[in-house]
Amino acid sequence: MPVSRRALVAAAVCLVLPLSACGSGGDDGGSTDASGKVEGDIIFQTWNLRANFKPYFEGLIADFEKKYPGTKVKWVDQPAEGYADKISADAAGGTLPDVVNVSPDLVAPLAKAGLALDLDKAAGQYRKEYLEGAWASHRIPGMTGTYAFPWYLNTGPLFYNKSLFKKAGLDPDQPPKTYDELFADALRIAENSDGEVSTLANVPTIEDFGRYGVELMNPAGTAFAFNDAKGVELLTKYKELYDAKALDPQALTATPESSGKKFLTEAVAMNPGSALDLGNFKKQAPNLYKNIGITDQITSTGHVNMYVMGVMVNAQSKRKPAAVAFAHYVTDAAHQMSFAKQVAIFPSTAGSLDDPYFTEEDGTDETRVRVAAAKSLKNAVNYTPVLFSEQMKTALRNEVAKALQGKESPKEALDNAVKACDTLLRQQG
Amino acid sequence: MPSTGPRTRAVRVRRQLPTSPWLFAAPGLLVIGAFILYPFVSTLVNAFTDRRTLIPGEFVGLANFRELLHDDMFWIGLRNSALYVLGVVPALVILPLLLALLVQKNIPGITFFRSAFYTPVVASIVVVGLIWVWLLDERGLVNSLLETIGVGRVGFLSDQWLLLMSAMAVTVWKGLGYYMIIYLAALANVPRELHEAAAVDGAGAVRRFVTVTVPAVRSTMALVGALSSVAAFKVFSEVYLMAGPSGGPAGEDTTLVMLVQRTGTGLTGRVGYASAISVVVFVVTVALMLLVLRADRRSES
Repeated sequence: MPVSRRALVAAAVCLVLPLSACGSGGDDGGSTDASGKVEGDIIFQTWNLRANFKPYFEGLIADFEKKYPGTKVKWVDQPAEGYADKISADAAGGTLPDVVNVSPDLVAPLAKAGLALDLDKAAGQYRKEYLEGAWASHRIPGMTGTYAFPWYLNTGPLFYNKSLFKKAGLDPDQPPKTYDELFADALRIAENSDGEVSTLANVPTIEDFGRYGVELMNPAGTAFAFNDAKGVELLTKYKELYDAKALDPQALTATPESSGKKFLTEAVAMNPGSALDLGNFKKQAPNLYKNIGITDQITSTGHVNMYVMGVMVNAQSKRKPAAVAFAHYVTDAAHQMSFAKQVAIFPSTAGSLDDPYFTEEDGTDETRVRVAAAKSLKNAVNYTPVLFSEQMKTALRNEVAKALQGKESPKEALDNAVKACDTLLRQQG
Repeated sequence: MPSTGPRTRAVRVRRQLPTSPWLFAAPGLLVIGAFILYPFVSTLVNAFTDRRTLIPGEFVGLANFRELLHDDMFWIGLRNSALYVLGVVPALVILPLLLALLVQKNIPGITFFRSAFYTPVVASIVVVGLIWVWLLDERGLVNSLLETIGVGRVGFLSDQWLLLMSAMAVTVWKGLGYYMIIYLAALANVPRELHEAAAVDGAGAVRRFVTVTVPAVRSTMALVGALSSVAAFKVFSEVYLMAGPSGGPAGEDTTLVMLVQRTGTGLTGRVGYASAISVVVFVVTVALMLLVLRADRRSES
């Protein structure tokens, strides 16, 4: 059957259209000049904050608009689930908001694609306002510059169930302080409960390797290195726990939510958390709350793990002066302090953690956790490498699971995980 | 002079005819073009590039497909998706038919049962998944019952094969009502006289089912087989919800569509590679449809 010319043209258009789509994105990233008058309409996107902090942000935006007449901030909030996918879609479609709430691992690909503004160049004058470590947390290995304002920090203690400790014949007022003590207590709890009670509910993640003192990446940040002797040692210990049911049998498929639930239902004896969790325990598991023990994060390095949130400015923004001004406004010392008083998070601005709010106890558990966390934050580390993507987390998790199941030796598993992560790192470009 | 009026009108009508159907179809065609055709062609094109979420790709020929051949996770995904078809399709072809036969009868209270069997179909898959996760948990209801009767706890959600089978059970449980409705429509068209004639000839209920009911609904069975095999090969939600984002212990329960999601989404997603996996999924599903329909034609002839 002869094909008409019109059909051929249509087919060609169909084939060429998608190809043209491949050519978008990743341009020069716009200029880093953010000087000029602060004016115009900008969009500010947060990460699951509207439900609990609507009045706070509405007030903050109103104050900003009053301070800078001629500006208008439209606030959009995205749910926690699928946040990275939402940013991906916006970034790929050229609809990324002017000011975006991010974490370091989200900033890295955006910076590489030229979509995150280099604040060392565009807003370097504000750098001294923040903790040095917090400002550095949004630097990308292999790139110069800082790509987001540090916002709030979070860390937390290790919660434990005193009643389960007691039942296992352990002193509920003597929680483990070192990894050796943790492993010994976990094995004892499993043994004394005939495998009914596990102590941990999660397989080791990249932060756990970091806290254990494993070198996660080479100094240049160009390759992963967590398959060293220390990494193998940690995984070997976990294998021992798994075999003894001291690590929950469902740990291989656990998520932070599911392991938190296991702690709530008193199926596991210990779980990491934050000051936010105490309220949950009180509300959802009063019996657990009565028996809750709080101890410091276990670390071999002397540095606990912290999570960092940031506020990024879109390098393509048409209103860079307003976007930078607003991102700084959200994250300045005064506003970080007022936000920290609304919810159990910690400011990343210099000197804020010396405020009496973070140094003085009043006898309640909440304050005790807050003061302890604030103290530990002064030398805390964000162990998760900035370039550690979701795909890498999955690769590590799957190899760890193979080691725990006995399908591979801990050394083999970590070698494979490093190989997979290095491949993914190269593919990221 | 003869009038040319009617002929002119006829010519005008003929000229208008070819365009007007297209005008009516245009909205639908636009939607299909934008949401089906364009993404499909785009996926095909991307499969031959190394495109990433934020970085435009370059043409790499068959490199993605070559990489697939050496990717253990791809083979695990293919294995699990194929096993899903083998485990789920026979159950979804036969069980809803038996269920339809049960609820076909007009007896008091049957409406309640028809609705009850259909309820899982309208329930959100996320809710269904969560409920089954609670039921099958190490300390869930099912394990508590098993412990009570002395069987002991079973690792429904921690053993790779039990996890996959649990997900299959959820798929079957959720799909029963949907296919039951399709069979009910087909059974309504089976002439009652055939059953009566077979009964007169002394055929029992089982015999009548085999010789009258099955031949009468054979094409519907083929349709159900085709629909359920495509759905089973493209399974995502049930396994994702029950096995977790990493696809069960060591990723051993990952299905192909889960692999597409895991590989191709997020800020560091490998869109090109995920598109190549999608192309494989497309080819296999088309092949499955053709196989089932061809088998049906062969059995009919």
